[in-house]
Amino acid sequence: MSGTGMKAVVVPDRMRDPYTFESILSLNDEILKSGVIDMSRVDFIEPYSMVSLLLMGRNYLRQKGEKARIVNLPAHLAQYLQRMDFFKEGVFTVPETAVAGAALKRSSASRRLIEITGIPNKERQSIEVISSVIALFRKKAPVILKFWMTDPVVDFFVTVISELCQNIFEHSLDTGYLALQTYRSGNENIARLVISDSGIGIMKSFAGRPDIVYGSGAELVEMALTQPISSKREFGYGLCQVNSIAERLRGILFIRSESSSLTALYNRKDKTGKYMFHRNGLAYFGGTQISISLSA
Amino acid sequence: MIIDIARVAKGCKIKLPDLITRPVGRKLYAAVLEKLSFAGKGETVLLDFEGIKVIDSSCVDELLVKLIHESWEKDFYIKLRNISAISEINIDSVFNSYSNYKEKRIAVVRDELGVNNKYYIGPLSEAERDIIDYLKINHRANVYDISSFSGMESGMAAEITDGLASIRVLKKENGDFISI
Repeated sequence: MSGTGMKAVVVPDRMRDPYTFESILSLNDEILKSGVIDMSRVDFIEPYSMVSLLLMGRNYLRQKGEKARIVNLPAHLAQYLQRMDFFKEGVFTVPETAVAGAALKRSSASRRLIEITGIPNKERQSIEVISSVIALFRKKAPVILKFWMTDPVVDFFVTVISELCQNIFEHSLDTGYLALQTYRSGNENIARLVISDSGIGIMKSFAGRPDIVYGSGAELVEMALTQPISSKREFGYGLCQVNSIAERLRGILFIRSESSSLTALYNRKDKTGKYMFHRNGLAYFGGTQISISLSA
Repeated sequence: MIIDIARVAKGCKIKLPDLITRPVGRKLYAAVLEKLSFAGKGETVLLDFEGIKVIDSSCVDELLVKLIHESWEKDFYIKLRNISAISEINIDSVFNSYSNYKEKRIAVVRDELGVNNKYYIGPLSEAERDIIDYLKINHRANVYDISSFSGMESGMAAEITDGLASIRVLKKENGDFISI
């Protein structure tokens, strides 16, 4: 069995948003050695953390050829992960609490989320999946986007889903995942769309474009968001479009790629001061992980 | 010629209401091209997007940008109808990027006034916009009409209108300019 005899890595309760999840990513090397994740201290998991955890498990599976284990998973989190199809991906061995949780019925009325969906890296299959996800999103949008609901907002999200999913098969050279959920955190309602992969990442993707000069990884991410640059074509539109939509919706855009991240707080843009934040020198994690959030 | 894009998409087994991804754009382009073989020289081809909610930038690139290139080569004009707000934004963004990188502007006229309050999509100047608006109302005018309406010198008016005709957002016929 995977991870047998290995000491479990106890992860902190830092799965509440993309920024705090950095603490878990800093444990990535230990997790890759151990293959056992002790979740006893975790009380809450939001979609970005969930998808990133899945990618960590997938990296372990690819490197070691066996599934990683989650132990001491609190029952309510087991139910949540089960609900989001986390274990369906076959990356982790299913913890006992999750098996027990399986007895819980899935509410057909739960339209506040789109379960974890794999985005293939082959064009044809990927397009089928993107079309299905968008059709499902259109169906569930009145509930997912209840607090932001207008036709243009739904169309904006359709564009974002389409652009980001296409980036996975066009640029990452890997498969990825999508998840979407509206949830409550304190007094806030949050709608969070997550589209992530563990492929080659933005910096490596631009390695073949020596004409594009940048200082740090985060700077390149900002260039990709604000200028129509492309690693494959003369110019590109996808990320620029996503960025301009995030701005129109006054949302929060978070992009992490390899050892850098960028956060754009468009909900604070009209207040004086900075709204775009770079971070470099983070723990290395391959691929590109993106979260777009609206809050109300 | 009027081309009902939703109908063409259905014929290609493309799921509606959204036109997204490059392969979808390529498939549609091939299907529209087939129909264009029946278009006459100098004809206006109205692409009707009724029933389409989102056209993403990949699809704009593969479908509209290529059709505009085709219109330059084969001598026809393109006009859009029933473009949704988000599609307008996506088209505008692609046309802007294209124009910046290729140093050749592209724009397209539309049947109805857009969210941008313009009868076209693309990176045109205010003076160019005024001329398109003027022709939308008056349908046909010569350089002197445009010059007296806009207060521009006739040389300048001729240069601008010729530029608009070269990117095919208006027609030039016997020295007159005609709205598409």
